[in-house]
Parts: sequence; C-alpha cells; structure tokens
Amino acid sequence: MRRAPLLPALIFTIIVTQIPFLLTIFYSLQSWNLVRPGSQQWVWFDNYVSVFQDSQFRGVALNTVIMTLGSVLIALVLGLVLALLLNRHFIGRGVVRTLLVTPFLITPVAAALLWKTTLLDPTYGLINFVLSPFGVGEEAWISDFPLASVMVALIWQWTPFMMLLLLAGLQSMPTDQIEAARMDGAGAWAIFRELTLPHLRRFIELGTVLGAIYLVNTFDAVYMITQGGPGTASANLPFYIYQRAFLGFDIGQSAAMGVVVVVMTIIVATFALRLVFRSFGAAEGSN
Amino acid sequence: MATTTERGPATATSEPADQEIRRSTRTGPVLLTTLTWILAIGFFFPVLWMVLTAFKTEGDAQSSPPTFVFTPTFEQFATVFDAGIGPYLANSLGATVISTLLVLLLATPAAFALSMRPVEKTQDVLFFFISTKMLPVVAAIVPIYVVVNNVGLLDNIWTLIVLYTAMNLPIAVWMMRSFFLEVPSELLEAASMDGASLGRTLREVVLPIISPGIFATALICVIFSWNEFFFAVNLTSANAGTMPTFLVQFVTSQGLYFAQLSAAATLAALPVIIAGWVAQNKLVQGLSFGAVK
Amino acid sequence: MAEVVFDEASRIYTPGATPAVDKLSLTVNDGELVVLVGPSGSGKSTALRMLAGLEPIDQGHLRINGRDVVDVPSKDRDIAMVFQSYALYPSKSVRDNMAFPLKMRGMDKSEQSKRVNDAADILGLTEYLDRKPKALSGGQRQRVAMGRAIVREPQVFLMDEPLSNLDAKMRVQTRAQIAGLQNRLDVTTVYVTHDQVEAMTMGDRVAVLNHGKLQQYATPSELYDHPVNAFVAGFIGSPAMNLMDLRRANGAVTLGGTQVPLAREVADAAGSADTVTIGVRPEDLSIGGDGDGVKAVVDVVEELGSESYLYAHMAEHPDTTLVVRGPGRTKVRYGETIAVRVDPDAVHAFDASSGERLGS
Ligand SMILES: Nc1ncnc2c1ncn2[C@@H]1O[C@H](COP(=O)(O)OP(=O)(O)O)[C@@H](O)[C@H]1O
Ligand SMILES: [Mg+2]
Repeated sequence: MRRAPLLPALIFTIIVTQIPFLLTIFYSLQSWNLVRPGSQQWVWFDNYVSVFQDSQFRGVALNTVIMTLGSVLIALVLGLVLALLLNRHFIGRGVVRTLLVTPFLITPVAAALLWKTTLLDPTYGLINFVLSPFGVGEEAWISDFPLASVMVALIWQWTPFMMLLLLAGLQSMPTDQIEAARMDGAGAWAIFRELTLPHLRRFIELGTVLGAIYLVNTFDAVYMITQGGPGTASANLPFYIYQRAFLGFDIGQSAAMGVVVVVMTIIVATFALRLVFRSFGAAEGSN
Repeated sequence: MATTTERGPATATSEPADQEIRRSTRTGPVLLTTLTWILAIGFFFPVLWMVLTAFKTEGDAQSSPPTFVFTPTFEQFATVFDAGIGPYLANSLGATVISTLLVLLLATPAAFALSMRPVEKTQDVLFFFISTKMLPVVAAIVPIYVVVNNVGLLDNIWTLIVLYTAMNLPIAVWMMRSFFLEVPSELLEAASMDGASLGRTLREVVLPIISPGIFATALICVIFSWNEFFFAVNLTSANAGTMPTFLVQFVTSQGLYFAQLSAAATLAALPVIIAGWVAQNKLVQGLSFGAVK
Repeated sequence: MAEVVFDEASRIYTPGATPAVDKLSLTVNDGELVVLVGPSGSGKSTALRMLAGLEPIDQGHLRINGRDVVDVPSKDRDIAMVFQSYALYPSKSVRDNMAFPLKMRGMDKSEQSKRVNDAADILGLTEYLDRKPKALSGGQRQRVAMGRAIVREPQVFLMDEPLSNLDAKMRVQTRAQIAGLQNRLDVTTVYVTHDQVEAMTMGDRVAVLNHGKLQQYATPSELYDHPVNAFVAGFIGSPAMNLMDLRRANGAVTLGGTQVPLAREVADAAGSADTVTIGVRPEDLSIGGDGDGVKAVVDVVEELGSESYLYAHMAEHPDTTLVVRGPGRTKVRYGETIAVRVDPDAVHAFDASSGERLGS
C-alpha cells in the first residue's frame, strides 16, 4: 500500500526506458535497412560479427573512452584547483562563482558552435589571437586536433560542475578538524594530503561517475564541432551509431552497436554504481 | 552638513593605528585572489565573447585581430527573429515546462514513498532509477525512432515531452527523496497524532518544508530539457523542433556567420543561464542526486 | 480520565533479536504521572511510542480505559505527545501550531482560538502567538510543544525526554512547571527520561527499565529505599550506591578487615552462596573520628558547600572504590587515609549472580 505512490513513476520509467532496450536487442538480430523496404529479415548474430570486425567501430570505441575519461579527469583536476581557490574568503567570491558556473549552464549546442567559430577558428578565432604572442600562427585546431578540440569544449563545460561539487565537499569539511591539525603542527600541504583529499574522496568519486554518465553520451559537441571527422578521427559511439542509423538507415547494425555499448556500459557502471552507493546511497537508505 | 565634515577627519585622526582591525599584509592571499579572478574571467570570457559578438556587425565579428571596440547593433538579432525562431522557442518552452510539471507530478509521490521508513526494496528501486541514467541513450534511439515513426508521432512535441520526462525523472526522484529525508520523522508522527490524514500532512506540514527543494528540482529539469539535443535532432524537424535544433538549422541554412550565429546562440542559451544563476546554490544538490547537502 | 495498562506488551524490531520492549506489564492510574526511566537504549521511547500508536505492539496487549488499542491508529487513541525535538511545524505560527490538532478534529474556530488562548496564557506564550518556531528560544519552543498537547485536552499525555534540549537551569524550572501543570490538569501522563533525578522529582511512580525489561515499578522513595535488584540500586541515586561483591563468613561480610553483620533474613535468603553483593549509599557511610572503621585512601574530594563527597579506594584492596558523603567544608584532603564506618542497618544485599535483592 505504501508503495502505491511509487508505481506511476516506476511504470512510466520502465515503459519509456526499458522497452526500447528490449526492442534494440530484437532489431540487432535482424538485417533491416530503412531505405530498402521489405529488407527486414532474421540474421541472428551476423550484425554482431560485423560490429566486431569493424575496425572503425573499435577506433570509435577507443575515442569514446579517451573522450570520456580524459574530459572527466582533466575537468576534475581543474575543478579541484578552482574549488580550492574559491574555498577562501575574498572580495567578490559570489561573483566569481557565478562567472565560473556559467559554462556549465550554456546550451551544449551553443557552446559547441561558440568553440567551433569564434574561439577556435584559424583566422578569426580568439584562441589563436591570444596565443599569437607565443608564436602560434593560424593553427587550424579543429582539423589538426579534432578530438582534442571537442574535448576542450567538454572540459570547459564540465569543469564548473566538478568545481561546484568539490566546493560543496570542501565546505562540508568540519573546520575543527583543520584547526586541530594546524595545532598538531601540520602544514598546508600535509593538511591537504592527510585530511582534505580523504574527505573529498567520495565527492571525487561522485564527480567521476556523474561526469562519465553524461559525457559518455556526448553527442552535441561532436555533431557541431567536427561531425566526427576527419574520417572517424573524432567520432564517438553515440555519433557513430547515429550516423549508421540516421544517415545509413541501417537499423540492424546500429541496434547491434547499441547493444554492445550497453553491455560495455553495464560492466563499467556496475563498478561505478557500487562506488556511488557505498559513498552515499546505502548509508541513508537502510534506516 | 558642517558637523559631518568636521567629524570626518576628527575621528580619523583620533583613532590610533593599532586600534584598527589588523588586516593581513601578506601578499599570498592577494596573489591567490588575483589568480582566482583571472581564471574565473578566463572561464567566463567565451560566454561574454559570444554575447559581444552577437552585437557586432559581421565585419567586426570576423576580423583579424579580433575587434574589441565596436558600435553595438541589433541587426543580428533581427536576422535571427526573421529566420523564424518563434515556433522553436515556443516548442522549447512547451517541452520544458510540460515535461517538468510531469516530472514533479510523478517524482513527488515516488520520492515520498521512497523516503518513508521501512519500505522494503528501497535500495533496489533507487538503484533501478539511477541505472536508467547509466544506459547510453544511443542504444535506445533506434527503436524509439522506429516506434515513434510507426505511430505517427515523429516531429511531435509530445514525443519530446514524454522522453524528457523519462530523462529527468530519475534525477528528480533522487533529489526529492533527499529533501523528504530532511523532514524529521517526528514531525510526521506529530501530525498523525494530531489527527491529520496523509494528504493533509503532505499539504500542510511537508510541502512548506520541501518547497525550496521542489523549486530546485524543477529548475534542474528545466535546464536539462531546454538544453537537450540528441532526441530533438533525431525525432523532430520543422514542427516540433526546439532551440538547439533551431541553432543547427539556422547555421545550416544561413552559413557560419559568426555574429548572427552568436546572436542565435545567445538567445538559445540565455534562459537557462539565468535559471542556473538563480539556482546555483541548489544546483550541486540536484546534480549530485541530493547526495551533497 | 484514563487508565493505561500495558499487559505483557512487546516490541520486536528484528525477529530473533532481543525485544526492544520485553513483556512490559504496567498500570498507570487515572491522573497519575508515571516516569519511565532507564539508560539509553533500554526501550523507554519504544514503550512510549507503542502507547502513542507509533510503533506496533508485536505481542501482548495495551489497554486505555479497558479498551484494547492494539489495532487503534494513534489519531483515534486520544493521546497527545510532546516530542524530544518538539516537532513543531516550521511553516506555521505558534498559534497555528497549537490549533493544528483542533483544526484536524474539525473543531469550530471560536472554540479553537479560545483553547489556544487559554493554553498560551497558562504557558506564558501569549505574546509569541504570531511568531514562527524559528524565532523562539529553546524553552519557548518546548512550551509551544506542551501547548499543542494540552489544547487537545487528551486522555493521556506522553512526553519523551521533553527537557533534554534545554540548559540545566531551564531544565529545573520547566521540570517543576510540567509537574505543576500535570497536577492541575490531572491528566494521566507518561513521561520518559534517562535522568533519574528528573524521574525521582517528577514521578508519582517510576518504572525503571533495562534492556527492554521492567526492573521495578514503585514510588520514588520505595525505589530509593528498597531497590529490588542491584541494577535499580545502582541506577537510582546520585552519587550512585556503592556496590561491592564481598565474601561472606558466618552471618557477616568482611569489608576491608571490618565485619559487617548481615540481617538474619538476608543470610537466610543468601543460602549457601559464599559471596554477596553489598550496597551502601554514600550517605550511609561516615568518617569515623576515632580512626575506627574501614581504611580508605581519598582520591578526589568533591566539595559542594553544604556537603562533600569523598571518592576513595580501600587501603587493603585498592581495586575496591567507595564514595562517602562527608560534611560541608571538609578538612579531608587528597591522599589522606580515612576510616569509613558503615551503618549496618542501611546495608542492602543482593544475590551476587542474579542481582536480586536478598531479604526485605
Ligand atoms: N527503528 C528501530 N529499528 C530497530 N531497532 C530499534 C529501532 N528503534 C529503536 N531500536 C532499538 O530498540 C532499543 C530501545 O530503543 P529506545 O526505545 O529508543 O531506547 P531509549 O529510548 O530507552 O533510549 C535499542 O536497542 C534500539 O537500538
Ligand atoms: Mg529515547
């Protein structure tokens, strides 16, 4: 009875999120191209065989890992630095925080456009102008370093999130602990290493997991900045599958890729979820 | 007037220097503060640059070296409005507002049930909700497309509303549960002893306490729905397109003209930036699924 | 007008584990103020919440005025409770907090405001009626919680450590206030505290709980003079009663070389046991002026002005410690050896293994 209020949300979520995955499995066992009506037929695991033989798919999978982990880690480190800087009293702290959260709020498509044009453009871009005193000429960042260019936009958007999270972590740290350590003769670095980092640990874990959940699904930035190119140099799995499904109309192939992605994600997520639950969920949930 | 001018210097001189509050004279904090400001401005500058570029002429926008001093013009915004931003804006508003209301409607009772003391399987249900966020959206897009296409709901705003509701529901349930958990159980017990029904208790006791939390949850749903692109670009076109798809469509049809695309991007991003500024204190709490207080 | 009867009532949170409340049998007479006291975790709150209808009664019965309320929801038990945290509704003013239970019962507006005003008057809250709980001091909040309970004119009042969030001075004041109010309203009241001083000063009768079991249920003086077991003996009284396991020979026990005779009935009850637990309250020990008595070395002198307490260990058995009440402004100093005399008539004796009282 007490669970009745839960049911609408639960049923809705199951229908909208779980049934499509079951259908994905179903389609992945078929050969079906939308541009050839009537081509739908059972081919069982053929699609999977071609997915694993597809060297582009492997490259794209690797790109996804690099893009996700690289962006998360760099954003974490930058976020930590900013959080430490903000965890002090100084003039204009509120304004500084407001400025810093803004990149996270900006519509990702708009952010991507911004980076592609006014910032990273070889001729008119602000970045090359800022770097020109250091001898950088009209560097074509997006065609020369496509993956890195996409990642820069992602890191720029996600650093504020990490900063907010870690700042909350820093602010939840009891000051008496730090005062006690200072009286015990610990210096700033020792306090950071012995007290602050262990305290931040669960916040760092949480940031990693949440960042990864969202960044592994990155589509906007790839779509807008590089279209996955040149070739598939900067494509990630969401974009690659999108290409297969909506540009190649190959439902069976893209469904099989989707299933592979889900299985890989489940493997990673099982670890990640356990982390989150150990850190936060379980403690409050059990009583 | 005369007295104040007299008193000013008098108090200043009568106060011995060592009675003033001692301020740190070390340069370390000053350096750190300066560094913080530089980094903050650096992070913010691209956004500022976007807004500035939106007010430039195309010539000012695409110049080398970049133009910092210019006469602002609204010409670009006019172009954007002429390009038919209206329906997209309306769709974004509709999809965002309706899906957010739906999320609140579904998540509030669910979160309440999950915050009540002995609910068996609370952990499992929470686990399920968050695990749906872990599954990559791409793996679902193909059947969603096929189904939506078959039932004739392609390019329909309600398709987006349903998907956005599902997308935000897990976060909302987690977040709201954490707000419900903050309501002391003794308060619920007191209300039940005072003879209040469950509905009454929720309305009169619980809602006033968690309303800031509901507001924060709503804002976060708004941010994510407004910014969503993947579903929008794959499932809509002219009829149900939202602001992010407008941006894409705009640059595709007009070409990459920096000033006018900056104007369009500014318009697309502005509502959420403002919402986020307002809610920034609650933002972390929501985005960490309520784990950070 | 209500009589409350716990009849072998148990609450078992986790099947198989020891019950939080274990076969509690207890009768609270109409108009009586009964205090449940015991160390933390002894099941006091659980027992109270069973009466309130906030915890199920897993075994046994609970009757209010003869009606079994095991299956009656709390709102229909006509009971009001003051919570430890006060549980005031933060969004409502003092007035609305107090009126809430009346509103929920559909009482008409004028009667509501009359009762609220009367209660506010009694509790000295009249000038705070329009404030929110946030703008009140701890003591005022406590009184609002009391007010919310009394406006209902319930059959039974329940209070769970209502004073624990107040400072020491407020606690003493409010303690007297509550007892006075209860006397005046003459409403059956069950009061929970871990503080035995509170229990002794407030209760018409006091129920001592330990590990979910009722140890003794009696008037304060009875508890003090005739504790039924070593636990109650040690729990009631401050400083606590001196309890020592002593060897027994013939009709007496030996305490630091001194023979303390045991009453005949004690000796009979002890049977063949060769040790008994002896309890002596600090005030039943005195310092022998002529050097006659148990030799003890003073570790700490606690001077209270009107009296003093000497914490000492026995010279021959340094492991055995004693607390002795001495006169105010005692001349005894730390490290000094004193001779402690025992009043043989004031000695309590308990079975060394079961802790049960021996003799009467
Ligand atoms: N909700 C609960 N679930 C499981 N055990 C509980 C719960 N509440 C209390 N207990 C246990 O029951 C025993 C009695 O608790 P309680 O009545 O709160 O003690 P007291 O109020 O005397 O300090 C304790 O051992 C406590 O751990
Ligand atoms: Mg208790």
